[in-house]
Amino acid sequence: MRLLRDALIWFAAIAAASALAFWLGGYATDVYRKMLIWVALALSYNFLFGIAGQVAFSHFAFAGVGAYAIVIFAHQLGLPFGLAFILALALSAALAFVVALPSTRLEGFYLALATLAFSQLVLVVISEGGDLTGGTGGIANYRLPHVFDVTISGPWYTVVLVLLVASTLWMLRRLDRSAFGRACRAIRDNAVAAAAMGIDVRRIKVLAFTLTSTLAGLAGIAYAYIDNVINPPVFGLENIFLLLFMIIVGGAGSHIGAIIGAVFLYLAPFVLEPIVGHGFMVVFGVLVVLTILFQPSGLAGLVNRWPARRAT
Amino acid sequence: MSAIPLVSISRLTKHFGGLTAVQDLTFDLHPGEILALIGPNGAGKTTTFNLVAGVFAPGEGSIALGGERIDGLPVHAIAARGLMRTFQHNMPFAGMSLTDNILVGCHTRCSDSLFDILIGRRRVRRRETAARLRAAELIKFVGLQDRIDDDVSALSFGEGRLLELARALAGEPRVILLDEPAAGLTQPEMTRLGAIIRDIAARGVAVLLIEHDMHFLLPLAHRVVVLNFGRKIAEGTPEAIVRDRQVIEAYLGEAVGDLAMRPASA
Repeated sequence: MRLLRDALIWFAAIAAASALAFWLGGYATDVYRKMLIWVALALSYNFLFGIAGQVAFSHFAFAGVGAYAIVIFAHQLGLPFGLAFILALALSAALAFVVALPSTRLEGFYLALATLAFSQLVLVVISEGGDLTGGTGGIANYRLPHVFDVTISGPWYTVVLVLLVASTLWMLRRLDRSAFGRACRAIRDNAVAAAAMGIDVRRIKVLAFTLTSTLAGLAGIAYAYIDNVINPPVFGLENIFLLLFMIIVGGAGSHIGAIIGAVFLYLAPFVLEPIVGHGFMVVFGVLVVLTILFQPSGLAGLVNRWPARRAT
Repeated sequence: MSAIPLVSISRLTKHFGGLTAVQDLTFDLHPGEILALIGPNGAGKTTTFNLVAGVFAPGEGSIALGGERIDGLPVHAIAARGLMRTFQHNMPFAGMSLTDNILVGCHTRCSDSLFDILIGRRRVRRRETAARLRAAELIKFVGLQDRIDDDVSALSFGEGRLLELARALAGEPRVILLDEPAAGLTQPEMTRLGAIIRDIAARGVAVLLIEHDMHFLLPLAHRVVVLNFGRKIAEGTPEAIVRDRQVIEAYLGEAVGDLAMRPASA
């Protein structure tokens, strides 16, 4: 019965999120699609940062690897789309694995520095890649090719993004509730005790980093066909910090928190910008500090308290 | 007690720079046995624990578990072979529920590949169900069933000890190492802990413990190994140990010999 109920909830949520795509206008569709990419990235980054406890700043770099790889493989090099897709995903995964091997030996501050350096490296490579990456101007004027003679465009591409978010959430939730998820949380809380319980700490860390970074690569691939433009600044540092803010404000370690945080902080500037201009980043900064001080479980923690309050 | 040792420690030596923490230490541990490691501070007890658990690799000597050499293996590999431990200071996974804390102890019993987890293999689900049943049993076994919904950071020190014990037992260990399990416990908690440790040993698990509280230890241990300055100075039954001249001089002092043999909670 629970299985049936869960399936119905998933189906209803996906259907509602997809239906929205057909109802929204041009500008709102663009906002909605980018919000879905943020949610997908926030979900995987939450697993890495909030659940596995790895303070890594390479998430957008891997999204960049995915986005540039698909465009270069499919359009600059003209490979068949299916092959280009698999190669782009494989490249994200392989690169994530290579970065994870030395990085996961590091902890806290040092992991942050190493992954920050990697992010800068990716940024330099895509900015200085000449004709292959389009330099600082990036690449434009390509479109999603037909896959099996089907053209996915308009609201249907938004549905693809909804499915991306849904499958990311489904995967990460399933892993979180398994021995793997418990091992990740145990390492985050106390790596020494985790090892004494038979957990191969390095292996789990490398797996968590590689898996979540590959999911970032997948979100990057999907991002590449929203505007049919990619350029370096999107994958720079400003966005990785915004992603971190989303997780903290939403509630680190909670999937629903990642979704709430991403939607909230992505949409907030649309409300704030007319009032405070570019000052909204200051508002975000204050929000993050307040969250850390007074509501460490984030917005998700507030949501979880509601039923308890009603009961009393 | 079985004649074949489960853990065989032979001529173990560990130097830290110029300091010899453990020297030429040899002893065996049998299934179902409660063996206590005692000695003054700095005698090498915790170092011995860390050598057995794989935190340090020994300089010389060997450690075998069930006939297989384990010295030099990483901590997690030794744990996976059935040797679990608790720590001198409580080390709960503070961000996880009580049940999840104990389920972490089952890790070696349900570590499936990510792919198997994602496709929901029946084997994965079966192990998960079994692990949850076992965790529920263990929570009852150590008597924490009333705390099941509480934050683990809200547990008292003694309850934290019991949680660690349950967590270590969750992996169905063949050997369990307890580092000062009674330290900081109240008298009733100690009595309960003693009963639990006896119960564990009665199920065939070998228990190796470090303890300073002789009232707690002497009625509990089947055998005692006494260390001083990294060397074994005595080994034998608690009755023999408390009458050993060398042990009295090095550690116990004159009065303890008689005092200690009174039952702890008479």
